[in-house]
Formats: sequence, structure tokens, C-alpha cells
Amino acid sequence: MKELEKTKRISIATTLFILIVLIALLAYKRPKHLYTVNTAHTLEKLISQDYLISLNEIENPSNVIIDIRSQFEFEKGSLKGAINIYTPEILKDENVAVFDELKEQNKTAILYGTNPSEVNASFMLLYQLGFDNVKILTIENSYVQNKLISKNIEIEKSQGDVKAFIAQSLIKAAKNAEKKIIVPKKIQKKVIKVKKKKKAPAEGGC
Amino acid sequence: MVNRRIAKISAFRYKILAAIFILLAGGLVLLPKYEKHEGINAQELLSNVISPERYISTDILADKLINQDPSYLLIDVRDEESFNKNTLPNAINIPMSRLLDEDSNMYLDQDVYNIVLFSNDNFYADQAWILCTRLNYKNLHVLKGGINQWYNTIINPLKPSENMPAEAFELYNFRKAASMYYGVAYPEQFKSKVVVKKAPPKKKVITVKKKKKAPAEGGC
Repeated sequence: MKELEKTKRISIATTLFILIVLIALLAYKRPKHLYTVNTAHTLEKLISQDYLISLNEIENPSNVIIDIRSQFEFEKGSLKGAINIYTPEILKDENVAVFDELKEQNKTAILYGTNPSEVNASFMLLYQLGFDNVKILTIENSYVQNKLISKNIEIEKSQGDVKAFIAQSLIKAAKNAEKKIIVPKKIQKKVIKVKKKKKAPAEGGC
Repeated sequence: MVNRRIAKISAFRYKILAAIFILLAGGLVLLPKYEKHEGINAQELLSNVISPERYISTDILADKLINQDPSYLLIDVRDEESFNKNTLPNAINIPMSRLLDEDSNMYLDQDVYNIVLFSNDNFYADQAWILCTRLNYKNLHVLKGGINQWYNTIINPLKPSENMPAEAFELYNFRKAASMYYGVAYPEQFKSKVVVKKAPPKKKVITVKKKKKAPAEGGC
């Protein structure tokens, strides 16, 4: 009798355990967008630099140009044949579907914005979600009289050498100082005469 | 009868439990997608990435550095060669290729310092920031415009023209003072010194009136 009670308890515990596991599995919410590339691989891709493309290389039927700026900017002026997908809306279902379709058709999505830094966010997000067919267009856009002007730029180009500038400024200043130092007249030292105390006339003592 | 059947099954109870555990473990192995899914989820990453909160301007950074705020740590993400050529004062070099190494982890994954990432522009620094943010590292910032902006504003500030508002002049004065702090010399620095020499302020001579001695009086 005692043995039977023991087995009963064990079997109840087992069913409960299995139930809990089942409930946990069912309740687990799968994130909607899963990364398929981990950070180490993304870093490799970033270093390889083969995701950059310049303006004169985009003339290719397998390229699709995507403007990641806001709709307002897009309507003001955009590259020929571009589609508008604003960065904050990139994870919306219809936009993800666009990229899925491009990947299926083996087309390359070329992203551009006001400058390449702005595109970074969309590019990295898409790449980590597994869209390895995205590239960044290295252009800078500006407007001249409401007309979009795009020009190629070199990414991360150093504009000025801080050390050299400081050294030069020192030389310049030193030269300037030399000139100036010769000019000043000698300043005569003022001699402050100390008046000698006049000896008081001898006074008659007692 | 029923009891006997239960007893029969319960003889295998440990084997059944073990089988269930093995099945569950096997399920984990068969989910490679989850393994790659490290860090915060994509939606959260997107909302972090599109906010400009991470940017710190060169003026604010210069102010912090000159006031020797100990909580700011500068990290240069360019390669070693450019780092040796020129960089910001007291910066540490962690090239992009070594960003996820364990040694770098020590600097990036902590909550003591405010880390400021920078490169020539903010392109690479942004990329480094996005990767680290995905791994949920905190207290990371990006220097807006990078070294180029630093050069253009702090080291070689543009003098505002006459018709600009007073704020522009204030900003210029701050930047000029900052550049002097970092060793840039201005010709007028020396000029002003010379001017001081030319016209030394006249010393005011304070004449102390001497007490006239009382005329000698005959004693006794």
C-alpha cells in the first residue's frame, strides 16, 4: 500500500513537471526579427569594406536604390528610380517584405541618405538580420536652389592634422613675436630718488 | 489491475524522465538561430540607433576635458597607424578589428566611465557604437564629427564675422581659449604682451606726508 502511494506521488510530479515545461514553451514569445549574423561576423564585414559603393558604379540592372531619408526629403529630391524606406520604419512588415523580395531576386539594395553616416543604422540592422545584399552609397546630398546635388565623398577622410597645425601656429607666432620684440623701445627705468632725510639742526640740549 | 499497470510503468520512470531531458537538450542544439541571436532585439536596437542621444559635441567634450572631468574616457577606433599620427589628448586606441576582443571588453562593457568613441568622422565610431549597443553595453557616446570636427572647431576655430550674434563670439572665445589650452599659439598673444610692456601702468606714488617735526624747543 505504501509503495503504491509513493509511485502515485512520483507520477503526479512528473506530469506536473511536463505540464510546466509545455506551458513555458507555449508562452515563450519569439522575437519578431531574429538576427542571423552575430556581432563577430558583422565586424568582419565592416572591416572588409566591400559594402561601400560609389556613384559611378550603380548603373547596373541588378541594383535597386533605396532612399532612407524621410518622405519629405525624398519628395524634395531623390536619385533616379529610388524607393523611399525611412530608417525608423525599416522593420515594418511591408518594408521587410521589400528586402526579402530583393534577396530572392538576387538584387542588391543600395542605400543612401544625406551622408554615409546616416545610412549606417539601416545598413547594419539589415545586415545583422541576414540581408547580405545591402550596400552603402558613399555620397553626400545637398540642395542648391531646391535641386538635389549628390557628390561622391571619401569616407573618414582626415581633414586636418592637429599636431602639424599646432606646430605651425607656434612657428608663426614665434616669427611674429620676433618682429614685435625688436620694435619696442627701451623703456627707461624710472629712478626713484629717495629723498635723504635732512638732518635736523642740532637742537640745544640741556 | 490498474495499480499493477502503474507499477509497471513506474519501474521505467527514471528512464522516461531521462529521455525527456535528452529530447529537450536536443531541441536547444537544433536551434542555431537562437545562438546567433545575441544581444538586445532588433526593434530595441533600431529605436536606440535612430535617437541622436549618443552624440556628444566637440564643445561639450572640450569643456569636460579641460575641466578634467575624470569620468570621461576617450577611445580611438581607427587603426594604430593613424592613432600614432594624431589623436585626441589622453585617448586609448582600440582599432575596429579588436573591438570585440576580451581586452577591449574591459573598457567598453562597464558602468563607471562615460566612453566617447571617435574616428576621423563619425562613420566608424557609429558602427562601433551600434555593435556595442547590440551587446547592451552602457554609457557609450560618439563624438559628433570626430577628429575633423575637433580640428575645425576646437583647434582651428573660425572667427565669426561682425554681424553675427553675441553667442557666436562667446563660442569663439571659448573655442579659442580651448585651442590655447591644447597648445595652439596665436600671434596676438605675443602682441598683447608687447603692448603691456610699452605702456606700463604708472605707479601711483603715494606720498606720505611727513610729520613736520616740531621746531626745536628749548629743553628745561
